[in-house]
This record gives sequence, structure tokens and C-alpha cells, in this order.
Amino acid sequence: MIDWFAFASVAAASLVAACSLVATYALGVRLMSSTSDVLPRTRRLTAIVCFAVCGALVLFGIYLVVPALHGG
Amino acid sequence: MDITLVVALVIALALFFDFTNGFHDTANAMATPIATGALRPKVAVAIAAVLNLVGAFLSTEVARTISGGLIREGDGGVQITPLMIFAGLIGAIVWNMVTWLFGLPSSSSHALFGGLIGAVVVGAGFGAIDGGVLLSKVVLPALLAPVIACSVAFLATRLAYLIAARSDSAQGGFRYGQVFTSSLVSLAHGTNDAQKTMGVITLTLVAAGFQTAGTGPEFWVIVVCALAIALGTYMGGWRIIRTIGTRITDIAAPQGFAAEASTAATILASSHLGFALSTTQVASGSVIGAGLGRDVRSVRWRVAGRIAVAWLITLPAAGAVAALAELVARLGVIGVAIDAIVGVGVTVFIFIRSRRTVVAHHNVTAAAESGERPKAARGKAVVR
Repeated sequence: MIDWFAFASVAAASLVAACSLVATYALGVRLMSSTSDVLPRTRRLTAIVCFAVCGALVLFGIYLVVPALHGG
Repeated sequence: MDITLVVALVIALALFFDFTNGFHDTANAMATPIATGALRPKVAVAIAAVLNLVGAFLSTEVARTISGGLIREGDGGVQITPLMIFAGLIGAIVWNMVTWLFGLPSSSSHALFGGLIGAVVVGAGFGAIDGGVLLSKVVLPALLAPVIACSVAFLATRLAYLIAARSDSAQGGFRYGQVFTSSLVSLAHGTNDAQKTMGVITLTLVAAGFQTAGTGPEFWVIVVCALAIALGTYMGGWRIIRTIGTRITDIAAPQGFAAEASTAATILASSHLGFALSTTQVASGSVIGAGLGRDVRSVRWRVAGRIAVAWLITLPAAGAVAALAELVARLGVIGVAIDAIVGVGVTVFIFIRSRRTVVAHHNVTAAAESGERPKAARGKAVVR
């Protein structure tokens, strides 16, 4: 019959991955959008770190998609 | 009947199915970035086409069985003949064309499975179908996929609005992000869907004795399948893009980003943790979740309900068409000729019918008819 454990792990993994990606990106967007013209340096740096984390997550996604990269 | 002719017909049909699969599924990745204006429609379908082409070459995981275990094929089971595959493909193609005409995002895999099941039931009886596998691999995942995707997208959308607020300056940032998430969905699609057609063609060649059993697809098979799905993707399937992008709910950039992130995450998780889910159903579920995450009243349940009905009847409907095609095909050469002519006739008819109300890149994001506007959108401006 149905593999409920596999189902639960898919649901949990999707939730964690999607929410961490969206939260990190949203944080980056918020830090970058400012009413003043000049962003403080730390704020800009934190935003860049956020986007870098998102980029890493997307690259991990590509790694999972391409079987040649992980020996599938 | 000449086996070479049947094999040639099956290959032609399989490639056409691959093509319909392409334009049916462009919407999964590209409906939301088109709806929010993150990508211009033509650019979006071009990116999706290239990624599907590339994806088809990247993955070598070709299905070992045509039906994925739904049909008891091979040793000790039924022998799936090229003629059954022929009838099954006709059922799948006709159903993909009909759902496209109505702009319904139905699963191409389900249409293919349904078609093959219909043809095999007529050819070999109900005993050839594994009911348990049907329930656990098709029916239950079809119910669970939209639920998972919808919940994930709901939470992701809430988070996006919570953190980045509803400021206008945030919109541009999310639009930029959408380009990456939708591309990831496209690539994942490319590595999955073209493989199905490669599997069908390869197993047909094996069944007909043109290829040794247990060998992978010939290089030309990979090339033509990749081209067929990429060309189909580039055609756009604008009707389905309109349904997912603008009819289910009005999508703003943060919602689009959250929906695609959820779609990508769910599909990648499902293909790596052994619980296969339909890309189409996940993508539609994500869009509903994104709608609920911003405003519960913004989802048009009538549209969602129509899509759900299409999901439920995809497998039996494709199966019924294929069963009929298989019955006719048993008449011999005449039967196969009738099938082929009727199949082409239906496809051409649907195409001509579709010209009455053209949906293409220029009007894909045009507002829904007044009757389909949700209460929340009436009277006040929608937050975008």
C-alpha cells in the first residue's frame, strides 16, 4: 500500500526547503529596499549574504536534478 | 500487419505525445512569472524550451517499464504489443488536446498511463492491471500532491509577506527571484518528462525485436524526444498558462516566488525521497496555496473545482479513448488506418476549434471575465 513514511518525509522536506528559501530571500529583499538612497554597509552586506544562501539552495536543487552530479 | 509500419506509427505518435506534453506543462514553471510580469511571455517560453531540451540530455534515468508497474508487463504477465502502445498513445494525445482546448492543467503522465491501461484492458483483460499499484502510485498521490503543495505555498507566502511586507519596492526583488525559481522547475521538468517518451519508444523497439532487451535508448531517440518536448514547450500552451497564472487567483510577485519555490522543493523532494508526485498537480496546488496565503477570498474555487474534476477523469477518459482505439485496431490494417485518420482528424478539429478564441502571448495575462472575479477583487484595487 501507500508508503506513509515516504509521504511524510516528502512533505517535511518540501516545507523546510521552500520556507527557508522564501524566508531568506524575503529578508534579503527587505534589507535591500530602503526609503533612504544610501544603504548602510552592514545592511547591504547582510542582504548579499541572504541572496548568496538562496543561490546556494538553487544550486543544490540543480545538483539534485542532474543525476550525473550525484551518481544516480 | 507489417511490424515496421506499426513501430514507425508508434514512434510518430510518441513524439507527438511528447510535443503535447511540452505545451501542456509549460504553465507549471512559467505561468506565475508571466502573470507577475517577471518574464515577458515569449522570453519565458523560450527559457522553458531550452531548459527542457537541456534537461532531456542531462538525465539518463529512463523508465524501465512503460507503465511504471501499473500493468503486469513482461515475464509472467501480459506482453504489451506495439499495437496496444499505439492505441494507448492515441488515447493520451486526444485527452491532452481536449484538456488543452479547455485550458485545464491535467497530468500528461496520467493521460499516458490511462491510455495504456485502456488499451491493455481491451487487449488482455482486467487481470493485467495491478489495482494496488494504481491506487498507491496514481490515485492517492493525485489527492495528496495538491494538499502538500498548497500547504507549503500557503506558509511560504505568509512568510514572504510577513518578512518583506507589502511594500512596492519589494515587488521588483521578488520578480527577479522568480526567474531563478521558475527556471529550476523547468529544468526539473525536462529531466523527467522527456524520459517517459524515450522509454516508450525504446520499449517498443525492444518489443518489435529491433533493439536488444535491457539496453538504454539509442542516441537518436534521445535527440528527437528532447527536440519534440522543447518544441512543444516553446509553443506555450497559452490557455493553460492563463488558467494557472490568472484564473485561479491573481498572483503578485511575492506569491509567484513562494509558489515556484514550493513547486520546486516539492518536486525535488518527491523525486528523491521515493514518493512520485505529478508536476502539474504540484504546480496548481502551489498557486492555490499562494492565493490563500495572501487573501483567503482571492481564490476562485469554481476554477479550482473544474481543474480537480479534470484530474479525476484524466485517467479513465484517456483509457476509454484508448480502449476504443484498441478495439478498432484489432480489425487489422484497416482498423489501424481508421485509428490514425480519426486521431489526426480529432487533433486538427480541436486545433481549428481553438482558433475561435485565440489565447497567445499577447493576451495571456488579460483580465478574467467579470463573472469570474472573486468578491475580494471587486470594488477595490487588488494589492499587487
